[in-house]
Amino acid sequence: MITIENLSKSFGAHRVLEGIDASVSQGEVVCLIGPSGSGKSTLLRCINGLERYDGGRITVDGVTVDARKKDIQNIRQRVAMVFQRFNLFPHRTALQNVIEGPVHVKGESLAMATERGREILASVGLAEKMDHYPLQLSGGQQQRVAIARALAMEPEAILFDEPTSALDPELVGEVLAVMRTLAEKGMTMVIVTHEMDFARNVSDRVLFLEHGRIAEQGPSREVLTHPRNERMREFLKRVTHVQ
Amino acid sequence: MFQSFFSDAQEFFPVLMQGVLITIAITAAALVIATVLGLFWALLRVSGVAPLSHASRILTNVIRGVPIIVVLFYMYFVLPEAGVSLTAFQAGALGLGVAYSSYMSEVFRSGIDAVDPGQFEAAQSLGMSRAKLMRRVVLPQAFKVALPPYGNNVVMMLKDSSQTAVITVVELSMQSKLIASATFKSATIFTLVALMYLAMSLPMMYFIGRLERRLGRRQ
Repeated sequence: MITIENLSKSFGAHRVLEGIDASVSQGEVVCLIGPSGSGKSTLLRCINGLERYDGGRITVDGVTVDARKKDIQNIRQRVAMVFQRFNLFPHRTALQNVIEGPVHVKGESLAMATERGREILASVGLAEKMDHYPLQLSGGQQQRVAIARALAMEPEAILFDEPTSALDPELVGEVLAVMRTLAEKGMTMVIVTHEMDFARNVSDRVLFLEHGRIAEQGPSREVLTHPRNERMREFLKRVTHVQ
Repeated sequence: MFQSFFSDAQEFFPVLMQGVLITIAITAAALVIATVLGLFWALLRVSGVAPLSHASRILTNVIRGVPIIVVLFYMYFVLPEAGVSLTAFQAGALGLGVAYSSYMSEVFRSGIDAVDPGQFEAAQSLGMSRAKLMRRVVLPQAFKVALPPYGNNVVMMLKDSSQTAVITVVELSMQSKLIASATFKSATIFTLVALMYLAMSLPMMYFIGRLERRLGRRQ
């Protein structure tokens, strides 16, 4: 459902993405991994138009992603996003955060959205926290609210931009558990992550980016267990050393 | 001396209160104009449309660079030449409001700038239009940041409303000057006037201070 063809992007003279070809089918879970500055977050942000690209093309269900066109608002409703720093709306409660999109973007009735919002929050284990404001929640809880907010839009796919990188180590598990459940339910997901165990066990495919190019890709288990690319081997060694 | 102050004060108080009412009325009217117009400038400024944001920046700088008194002269003496005749009160409220809209615009803009860029992205990623993003997500947060400096501007505006005297608005300061020149009791009258301004501005300052502490505690 997401197709990326010969994508390129520069920040000034600095080339961040070059010649990226990739696609994500429905129900697939794809992890983007690579050293920082390799362009994986930028690539993810290009998919829903938060970042503009210079060359090539991204399509979602055949519609070209163009941040300057009005179409982008429709694409964003179908491709939700979860951020590293949660980006919850601090002036609204957990439940209000979750129903914001359905009510004020999709025009759902407040009653219906509220009922659905409660169910979704309960499904991520936050039934007790619906009326709490983001600042009253832990990082892990906030990120689960953010996932619930994405789910409430009933998206066809969800993009995750390092969803556990801003969390204390003991809170990472609860967020990954929610994501694993989503994957098992068949949600299409593209995830930028440094959690190699999660990538190996949950995702179908891994793309390894380096200097804005895809240096290696393939089925997660295979690629992460027996990487052919020399730099990917080094990268994996470094990542596992840290952990 | 003190005795005569109190007996004189008693005599002048009702007349000066008329001035107080005009001062409050003109400040309130100007405040509405300054707030609406200031928000408009600020929204143009952050619209992301280059010609609009340039126009807003240039206009607010021009307004800021001209003394309030001159803006008032324009409203009262120049507009009639263009066929727009305003009463002194209308010209005063409009002039003060326009002059302060440039300060208010800066207050709102810095409030908007203080909102985390992640908030814009989160709203965008829900598929919100630019207008809805501003109304639902950014402005409610920006107002919180802008509230204390906004309040300070209101206090300054209250004091600057005395400048409308130059275009014949008989507000508090003008009223006092009229009585003083008729009675020669300057000390009593101007002391009373100072107290009246303080009676309006000090509670406001106290309120703003409380607001600042409350907002500061929450962050």
